[in-house]
Amino acid sequence: MLFNSFHFLFFFVIVTTVYFLLPHNKRWLLLLASSCYFYMAFVPIYILILGFTIVVDYIAGIFIEKSAGKRRRLYLIISLIANIGILCVFKYYNFINENFSFLLHGFGLSNPMPYLSILLPIGLSFHTFQAMSYTIEVYRGKLPAERHFGIYALYVMFYPQLVAGPIERPQNLLHQFRQKHSFDGDRVFEGLKIMIWGLFKKLVVADRLGIYVNGAYNHLDQQDGMTLIMATIFFSFQIYCDFSGYSDMAIGAAKVMGFDLMTNFKRPIFAKSTGEFWKRWHISLSTWFKDYLYFPLGGNRGTVFRTYINLMIVFLISGLWHGANWTYIIWGGINGFYLVFAIITKKYREKVGELIGLNKFPRFNVFVQIVVTFILISLSRVFFRATSVADAFAVFKKMLTLKGSIFNDGAAIIIYCFSAIFMLLVVEFKREFYTGSLSFSHNKNFWVRTSYYCILIILIILVGVFDGGQFIYFQF
Amino acid sequence: MIKSIYSNTLKSFFFKLLIFLVFVFITDRLLGAMLKKYYFKQEAGYDYLTTYAIEKTSADLLIFGSSRAANIFNTGMFETQLSLSCFNVGRYGEPVFYHYAVLKTTLKRYKPKIILLSFDAGNFSTYQVSYDRMAVLLPYYKDHPEIRDIVALKGPFEKAKLLSNIYPYNSLLLPIISGNIAYSKRKFPHLNGYITLEETFTGELQTIDYTKETALDSKKIAMYKAFIQDCKEAKIPLYIICPPYLINSIGTDASIIEAKKIAAENYIDFFDYSSDSFFTTKPTLFADYRHLNKEGVTLFCNRIIKKIKNAN
Repeated sequence: MLFNSFHFLFFFVIVTTVYFLLPHNKRWLLLLASSCYFYMAFVPIYILILGFTIVVDYIAGIFIEKSAGKRRRLYLIISLIANIGILCVFKYYNFINENFSFLLHGFGLSNPMPYLSILLPIGLSFHTFQAMSYTIEVYRGKLPAERHFGIYALYVMFYPQLVAGPIERPQNLLHQFRQKHSFDGDRVFEGLKIMIWGLFKKLVVADRLGIYVNGAYNHLDQQDGMTLIMATIFFSFQIYCDFSGYSDMAIGAAKVMGFDLMTNFKRPIFAKSTGEFWKRWHISLSTWFKDYLYFPLGGNRGTVFRTYINLMIVFLISGLWHGANWTYIIWGGINGFYLVFAIITKKYREKVGELIGLNKFPRFNVFVQIVVTFILISLSRVFFRATSVADAFAVFKKMLTLKGSIFNDGAAIIIYCFSAIFMLLVVEFKREFYTGSLSFSHNKNFWVRTSYYCILIILIILVGVFDGGQFIYFQF
Repeated sequence: MIKSIYSNTLKSFFFKLLIFLVFVFITDRLLGAMLKKYYFKQEAGYDYLTTYAIEKTSADLLIFGSSRAANIFNTGMFETQLSLSCFNVGRYGEPVFYHYAVLKTTLKRYKPKIILLSFDAGNFSTYQVSYDRMAVLLPYYKDHPEIRDIVALKGPFEKAKLLSNIYPYNSLLLPIISGNIAYSKRKFPHLNGYITLEETFTGELQTIDYTKETALDSKKIAMYKAFIQDCKEAKIPLYIICPPYLINSIGTDASIIEAKKIAAENYIDFFDYSSDSFFTTKPTLFADYRHLNKEGVTLFCNRIIKKIKNAN
């Protein structure tokens, strides 16, 4: 069930209405049942996998809390193996197997391991990471084990963020299932507003740009350099609006029912460095890696070289988290390299800035930084979008030649794409740089607010893409 | 006390929600009416040709199909050589759903003397985009009840979406503007639906392997059968034609095999030129691998016209 479908609209209205009609002590049951239905709307049988990890982590949490020393560690390891094991089987088995075959082939041997023809359970990486954060937090003693099985299951399965995050922390979410959420009209409107903006980003911007991007990237042999440069820029906006659009709808849907999910995006388009970009992009995953991988590896507490290694490890694993393909690993590696390179060259870059006088024009300096960061991130995303490493290199090769004209399947597509980006940038720019001044979305005047959201809805119906399909991050 | 606050909050919420919904509803009606007016006022472009096909044409010979129909069947040649008025209903990327919907609206108005259906390789393949492309029929949904069942195949919630007056014109804002300006009329002359391609193919020949197993869409097959059936019931001579492709093909396309079989069962002529060596060895007759250019069209249409004359 996609957030951008009528199926979800009916589901959401029914679940939310019944939620507020039910007494507080029965609400968890409704949310759990509706979350099961939501998940089973994709591939029903995979609910069993989710159920298995929930049972394992629930029991592990209690055992970890009750025990100490090596035994405590053992229960954590069992829980982690169960979670990562499922990820390995469903997400990475074929990838590992293919590479193993390739390696054996080099020695003239054949691989006896079969290829598994299985579909990746939707949102597997998201809920697995969320489940893992629970057992780790219990192990660290920062959280008591949850005794109520239903509440714990709901923590993993809460439908708004089940399939594509935000990847919540137990400290933030678990206790909210016990809180009584009375109906609050302002809060409901606030949630709905966030949902409408998310829907706008998905249907009007992401799916519109997706038409051009797919046209270019799915027929690379027919495209020229200029087309691929434009498609790559479009893809940067597409993936941002696709993913942050989903997050907005998840956060909004939860807010309507009284739940606060963590912020997942802080307008990464305006990041002034790649380091800042990762503080603004998919924050729930970035902080997950920081808390559960980067810091345990030593973070920046060791030597400078060790910090570089830690950063590279985190980003390579982050790449692998996204998908079982070398393209994602390279994408992660490039972003890790950006950070390491930024640290190494910080002093020199500042000196160059002084030399050419950029510092005298702070606004222009910020603009340059934003543009450079956007270009660097967009270039790395060629690997994210391309279906193979060879395709990614073919894209770069064509981009460098700058040969040919821009693919134009009717002027309307290009005009829609640029208009969509323009509308997005106007709103995001206002929210980033002029927070205190005139706001349409949160104007004190009811009629201004109403008109603003009415226009957004009309724009969605008028120029939104209704056949765009699922969210890009669902595949992860 | 708490109950009263709670009920006031609810009242205020529903009041605001109602105002908002009324606001959206009124805007939807007004803008929808405006879009409808200008959509049907267009004088050029693909939507205009569809409107003309659905609501105006009374041509003796109708040609149905995708872009291959629009670009390959020269209406002028058919009119001159068969002494029949002719209109080409072909539209870019449109599958059999579109053809059948337009046929139904036509048969409701009048009975053409001859119908040609241009068939393409892969016409029966399972392909979601074929359903999405039925969006071009949405502006006709309300005024043409005969096509509603076909449009409903687009998705389970199509009827609900069509409660909006704007939705039928989704993504059509720019084409509507373009279709209403004089420049478009000069750029896209009417030509009874035929769109001439002047360029000559310069690329490399593709090889397409048709021997790989492909799933056929039963709904598309049913629609094709219904198209044949409706023509038979109206006693309109129907010719199904597969124009040539400029490709190296391995085997025969599964859709063409199936379409031929169904045509034969219904005693309908199926002229298969998909791999006719006269055309496939002459790249200069093509604009691209799917479409003949002006020169190729002349040669091809002459052959088709001759066949139709012989059949009659």
